[in-house]
Amino acid sequence: MSAIPGGPAARDPAATDPVVEVRDLGVQYDLRFTRRTTMRGWFARLLHRDGSHRRFWALRHVDLRLEHGDSLAVIGPNGAGKSTLLLTLAGIIRPSEGEVAVRGEISALLTLGAGFDQELSGGDNIGLVGAFLGIDGRTMEGLTPAITEYSELGAFIDAPLKTYSTGMRARLGFAIATAVQPDILLLDEVLATGDQVFRARSLVRIRELIREAKAIVLVTHDLEFVTELCNRALLLDHGEVIALGEPAEVVELYRTRTAEQRARQEAEAAVIAAGAQAGGGGAEGAPAGGSGASRA
Amino acid sequence: MLPYAAQMATRTEVRTSLSTHRQAGPLEMVAEGLGELWSRRRLVRYLVGADLRHTSSNTLLGEVWWILDPLLQMAVYTILVTVIFQRSVADYPIFIFSALVPWKWFSTAIEDAIGSVTTRDKLIKQLQFPKIVLPASSVLAATYNFGFGLAAMGIMLVLLYPARISALLVLIPLVAVVQFALTFALALFAAAINVFFRDLRNVSRHALRLWFYLSPVLWSFEAFFPEANRTLRLVETVNPFYPVLSAYRDLVYYGRSPDWGALAAVLAVSVLLGAIGVAFFKRLEPAFAKVL
Repeated sequence: MSAIPGGPAARDPAATDPVVEVRDLGVQYDLRFTRRTTMRGWFARLLHRDGSHRRFWALRHVDLRLEHGDSLAVIGPNGAGKSTLLLTLAGIIRPSEGEVAVRGEISALLTLGAGFDQELSGGDNIGLVGAFLGIDGRTMEGLTPAITEYSELGAFIDAPLKTYSTGMRARLGFAIATAVQPDILLLDEVLATGDQVFRARSLVRIRELIREAKAIVLVTHDLEFVTELCNRALLLDHGEVIALGEPAEVVELYRTRTAEQRARQEAEAAVIAAGAQAGGGGAEGAPAGGSGASRA
Repeated sequence: MLPYAAQMATRTEVRTSLSTHRQAGPLEMVAEGLGELWSRRRLVRYLVGADLRHTSSNTLLGEVWWILDPLLQMAVYTILVTVIFQRSVADYPIFIFSALVPWKWFSTAIEDAIGSVTTRDKLIKQLQFPKIVLPASSVLAATYNFGFGLAAMGIMLVLLYPARISALLVLIPLVAVVQFALTFALALFAAAINVFFRDLRNVSRHALRLWFYLSPVLWSFEAFFPEANRTLRLVETVNPFYPVLSAYRDLVYYGRSPDWGALAAVLAVSVLLGAIGVAFFKRLEPAFAKVL
């Protein structure tokens, strides 16, 4: 292995530098400004200001190193911070704390058809999305025939996008998003769209991309996929890292955790149901804890 | 109530949550913002094209409206002022039109720019791209419309007021440059603020209307209130659109050279405001994806 003294010269694929390096990452949301913020609400909150409950950490203390050839699966329950992690790696959200360093061209397959315009034709949308992704004009022109062919739109390529079916839109979106081979690929459950035939075909393309990419980060609920495609797995819950390591072990841990949680929830539900059945008398006695305990 | 020290602590924390790690200086941000606009000019072109397609689709007459719209508006104002208020000004239709067309450019640009970031909330959470292209393309799309307004004005001059055509008309683009700088600066503020306070759209509708009446579109001191006192004349110095709209009218209606000194002052203020606007927009940009 060639030892390259650390620095920006590390373009060599054999470089020992990690492809993705995340150090003590934290992402905080400020709940005082949400999509519903209006001046009235803001002034009201200025008057009786209490700042303590207005912010929360979607991610905290995340450390991560992806070497060349790594493919990482991110799993966890809803609201664990999986998507926030992808958005931060993609550069869409900036960290509030810590650092994210990415070496190489990054491409995020987060939602198919992001950036589409309903009024433009399919062909113009290829140009538009390419421009959003920052791919230069000449490269995009070169890619257009291949994208058109892969998306199987035929004469529809010149029709406005609003005339497309959902499947056509998904095919075009997928074709554009996967036209360029990225160094680092971020995937967020994109395989759930399209018809059966297209899903199978897109899976082939995804595997191709995974094979070629330097590193992959994949958010998924499909645990089979994790053990099959990834060599590392990260389990998140409430914005914190629960486990990072071998996919099989992490998946196992996640399964036991969800099973435990479900059991706990069921037990709680049972307690509540039992309490309701016991009727008014029991509920009245409950607040006076001392007497209840002595009776038992 | 929190003790004062705790309030201070929370306030500094807010700042760090909005900021990035490598905090760029204001000048760096201006350079970065303008650089992004230049390197993403192809994206701006596509967005302008899409914007124009949106305004002309689903209408029977399509692009014809871009010419018809200012003409109809002018007709309404002409009736209002000459019939209802009984004021007579020579060739009043072209008097209004010379200022109405540029004003419409400004108001549509600002109205579009206000929603340019917020209406693309989904996109901003899905793709990483410089958001400054959004208000920029709103202003450019409105500029395209302005071109059609000027064409309508040209037709009107040739057909109805050929006596008012002069060589000075070729100077219109110079005035338009000043107006463009001013509009772009304000559009950046409007687009960024609306992300955090959605009321801006409601406020702006009324603010723009008031601004319209305080600007010399339907009137001017010269033609309507020649003996206005100094307090009223303050409008002339405070409102940057006074010299701008007067300049268009000087070129089109009066056929005389406008007050270039006043225009240069507006340009200087606009460029400064534009630089602040780019820095302001770039400063808030990292927070967009979280707030939307």
